[in-house]
Amino acid sequence: MKTWIAAIRSEKIKLRRSYVLGLAVIDPLLCVLIGLMSDLGTAPEAWNMLFTIMIALHALFFLPILTGIFAALVCRYEHAGGGWKQILSLPVTRNVLYTSKFVIVASLVALNQVLFFATVLGVGLIKGLDVSLIPWGDFGMKLLAGFVACLPLAALQLFVSAWWSSFAAPMVLNVIFTIPNMLVVNSEVFGPYYPWAQPMLVMMRAGGEYDFGAFGLPLETLLITIGGSSLVFILAGLTYFNRKAV
Amino acid sequence: MTNFMIETRNLTKKYKGTSAVNALNLSIPQGEIYGFLGPNGAGKTTTIRMLLGLIKPDSGLVRMFDQDLKKDRISILRRVGSLVEYPSYYGHLNAIENLETIRSILNVDKIRIDEVLHTVGLTKDAKRPVKGYSLGMKQRLGIASALLGSPELLILDEPTNGLDPSGILEIRELIKQMPKQQGITVLVSSHLLSEVEQMASSVGIINEGKMIFQDSMPNLQRQAGSEIHISLSQPEAAMIIAREQGCFPRLHQDQLIFKGIDNGQIARLVAALVDARHSIYRVEERRKSLEQLFMTMTANANSAERSIVEAPRGAGLRKEVAQ
Repeated sequence: MKTWIAAIRSEKIKLRRSYVLGLAVIDPLLCVLIGLMSDLGTAPEAWNMLFTIMIALHALFFLPILTGIFAALVCRYEHAGGGWKQILSLPVTRNVLYTSKFVIVASLVALNQVLFFATVLGVGLIKGLDVSLIPWGDFGMKLLAGFVACLPLAALQLFVSAWWSSFAAPMVLNVIFTIPNMLVVNSEVFGPYYPWAQPMLVMMRAGGEYDFGAFGLPLETLLITIGGSSLVFILAGLTYFNRKAV
Repeated sequence: MTNFMIETRNLTKKYKGTSAVNALNLSIPQGEIYGFLGPNGAGKTTTIRMLLGLIKPDSGLVRMFDQDLKKDRISILRRVGSLVEYPSYYGHLNAIENLETIRSILNVDKIRIDEVLHTVGLTKDAKRPVKGYSLGMKQRLGIASALLGSPELLILDEPTNGLDPSGILEIRELIKQMPKQQGITVLVSSHLLSEVEQMASSVGIINEGKMIFQDSMPNLQRQAGSEIHISLSQPEAAMIIAREQGCFPRLHQDQLIFKGIDNGQIARLVAALVDARHSIYRVEERRKSLEQLFMTMTANANSAERSIVEAPRGAGLRKEVAQ
């Protein structure tokens, strides 16, 4: 446990002055534009409407793409400067190193969710929505579920990023698989098993108003799929990483 | 009971059928600077990677500090500092931050960062991003990282590669201090005999994945067959004086060439020559180049290999260390 905290600390230092992290700002910025352009009225559901409108862009595209970028980032500085052979010569197991990188990716995704939530609140206030009507519990659940839904993708992308020494290749792969999201979410068959679509599916599930395509599936089914695939991808990544010749 | 810091037995690594490292028996006694010598592609880096657990050997055993690397990798690595091939660094961070990423894992005192930066002479540039460093500075940062955990064993793979002469000198002096000041055992690889000669106390020569020579430095120098060349006036007459002194030179381009004579003999010889009114222009030692040495050694590889197997060295070497 102590070495694990130490390894996470070490990863945190490496993130300093990473300009790539600046990309994370594009997400809330564009979502703000969409939010501001929307016509909400003053109905009690206005907050929910705003949230749903902004989620469309955030969860459908930015969340999966940024997850991939974060995963590529934590591997990039190791690939670039010969860091793998240095950290793997330190007295720390490969399991600890790999999982600490996963924790960092997950934390960045969580941070991104918080940032997104802040922009939703900001846009709502600009639009003059009633602060007392904010459905905190509902929003909180959705943000949390969206975060959890990113974990299988984070594990998968971390696996690929650790494997491929190129920074761009895993990101290109990620973008290629993110683009068909719009179609995939409508498929009851593939949607739930498609890691790039899971954040959208989970975050959109709100009181059953979306019951077409894969949106109609119960949340429990989705969460079991997500938990299971996270585990599979993490184990696959660990197996690879433990055998990785440096 | 051995007091070897590193010992490998029949260490083998194959890549696509060809052996990069072939049944390598390495033994490095404590407190030595061990020069690991061989041409590019001989298997030096592959061996070092196996010592650090970066790649897994196909067969064979690695023992360090009398522990099995396979079983006790983490506790072994805690006592080892290393620099493999080219320095590793995070370009966007400065030297202090770079060392901090390692320090947090090694869990050593913060003061060590200042200490190692001072040791390698990077204190002044510590706050600049490392991507702006020269190769020599990156190399020094790499050595600083290796020293950070106060290791008992330092493994440096071609630490002077790509450095300018003053950088080479600096690194060499740094390495030479280690056993004296801090009792650190050093394994340093190189493809330059002259470089290893200037810092190592024992040496292992590897060629095509096989150890072809492993002994103390003085013994290698004997093997390398160094010659003393004396250029002087009236060389023919000098030949006679040399014979009177019990040395039997050959004459080549007005130089007397002596094989296998020691310091005392040279001193007496030079004194006698001066007494006989010869003008001595220069007395120099010439060694076979590494290439030539390799030629002789690989030619004798079969017999040499047998002798290594028959008489695992160490006993002789330790005697020499004691002297």
